[in-house]
Amino acid sequence: MSWKLGSLIVGAIGVLVLAIWASGVSPAEALGTLFRGTLGSPSAISGTLRETTPLLFTGLAVFLALRAGLFNIGVEGQFLIGAMIGSAFAIRFPGPFGITFALIGGAFGGAVWAAGPGWIKAYRHGHEVITTIMLNSVALYLTSYVVSGVIKDPAQQSAPTVNLAEASRLPWLVNAPPVQVSWALPLALVSTLGLAWWLKKTISGYELQAVGANPIAASYAGIDAPRMIFFAMLGSGAIAGFAGAIQVVAFEGRFYSGFSPGYGFDALGVALLAGNQAQAVIPAALLFGVLAKGGTALQIFGIPKGITTVFLGLIILIAAAIRYRKVIGGA
Amino acid sequence: MLNLLWPTLVLATPLILAAMAGYTSERGGVINIGLEGMMLASACTAALVSVVHGAALGLLAGVGAATLLSLLHWLATQHYRIDHVISGMSINALAAGGTNFLYGKFSNPDRTGSIPHFGVPIFVGLAFGVTAALWAGTKYTAFGWRLVAVGSDPAKARLAGINPVVIRLIGLLMTGVLTGLAGVMLVSDSGVFTDNMTSGRGYIALAALILGGWRCVPACLACLGFGVLSAVRLQFQGTSALGGHIPTEAWASLPYVVTVVALAGFLGRTRTPTGLGRL
Repeated sequence: MSWKLGSLIVGAIGVLVLAIWASGVSPAEALGTLFRGTLGSPSAISGTLRETTPLLFTGLAVFLALRAGLFNIGVEGQFLIGAMIGSAFAIRFPGPFGITFALIGGAFGGAVWAAGPGWIKAYRHGHEVITTIMLNSVALYLTSYVVSGVIKDPAQQSAPTVNLAEASRLPWLVNAPPVQVSWALPLALVSTLGLAWWLKKTISGYELQAVGANPIAASYAGIDAPRMIFFAMLGSGAIAGFAGAIQVVAFEGRFYSGFSPGYGFDALGVALLAGNQAQAVIPAALLFGVLAKGGTALQIFGIPKGITTVFLGLIILIAAAIRYRKVIGGA
Repeated sequence: MLNLLWPTLVLATPLILAAMAGYTSERGGVINIGLEGMMLASACTAALVSVVHGAALGLLAGVGAATLLSLLHWLATQHYRIDHVISGMSINALAAGGTNFLYGKFSNPDRTGSIPHFGVPIFVGLAFGVTAALWAGTKYTAFGWRLVAVGSDPAKARLAGINPVVIRLIGLLMTGVLTGLAGVMLVSDSGVFTDNMTSGRGYIALAALILGGWRCVPACLACLGFGVLSAVRLQFQGTSALGGHIPTEAWASLPYVVTVVALAGFLGRTRTPTGLGRL
């Protein structure tokens, strides 16, 4: 560890301590509140796991794109589109069949939303970061338009869709209120391990990472790099859309405008922190889940929620200073 | 028609200032998606300081806050060699969280009325002045040539004896000042600070810069175009005149859609600085 990195970490901790000090609470008390509100009781733990689940899926989406050398900042938008389509299907077709349909539809919607940026990156050399940022805003407007029109609850003046029938909701794995754990969590864990296996043990997974490491070298090795980039983006979008649909059928039970509190952006932090091992997405998502849940606990304590976002920004910076450095002369 | 002109200019001004901020950064090869966060930080700081110490110090504080974040971007990308996109994202996160924290902690909720500020016309004039100055600066000054050289091919610029790190420092200082002005303009126009009040203007400015092919005057025109769009939307929303029946969401999405189409290379050749994101 160099002195540069050391000073960055010291600086980051300094900013946080300063912020907590400025809010007139002792750091020990703040940490205690954070701990009690996230891991201190069974109901707190179940709340943290609930926050972790979407972060795990969206983190996985960003991670997959990152392995192919792509920054999918558009996970937020793909998540929204997936949630919108998922809720529309789940409302239209009740029951287990509807759930399946909603999940497939959500994944499809997310993939479609990512297809444009993927194609532009692969074949027209337009930067995927800019296109996905732009499409995030479009997704936000589109979903808020659709939810206030076509799929809104007819009994309501505005905003949300109807609540899903109990039969159209993903069942609970553990249901002993206040402790509730959805089947979505094991599903997310299995998906993570599945992706880890795919990247490590299959030819296509290897090819994807080869393109991510060096697209020119991969092309010389006979890999169709643009095609790989396009499909990596599709896959990333599909996972993000799937996450949105899961969020509807497992937790929210409806869709509304402003559905995502920024999972797509937190996911970027999750994936960067995870580095190059898919399994590492699990602890990273848990950390961000703790932060998301802890922000609410701190707010009750009188510390504005924004401090957890500051923490997130600092984590991203430090993780990137360790892992995502550039070498002079590199691309 | 005249009742559209002034709203257009007012709506376009923060966009122009932010787009020019993006210009000094991206022309030097530093990808900057942190414009949004820098504007937000400036708006919040200016609002907090103006209330206590008046408009002039508020302006200075706003510009200072944005410059600080801009320097952080320089440090992260040039010294720590962090990927420019990651650094920009984390700056946006720092600003979004930091302003929420600071404003929640230090603003006086009982206070009513507008915060002290300078007149909006000053900012409007400034925006066009800055555009002209940057255009001339790029064309006629040694620093302008160096900035473009560094942004086009940092390795060759280095061989020619130009230190990209220093040139980018100056470029990013300008970025900080300009995003600072854009943020102060936002609070001056609305008279209050609200959480996440930039609401994507930094990204729209970036879109304008891209649409303008990373050139000052076309980028400024693109901002004016987006300004007209918003002004028309605000004016005719819900009426039957001039596309009032088109959903507002569609109007609001238009700048983003146009930018994506432009990036796909369907609107003329791409003019992306070739050294963008390189060291």
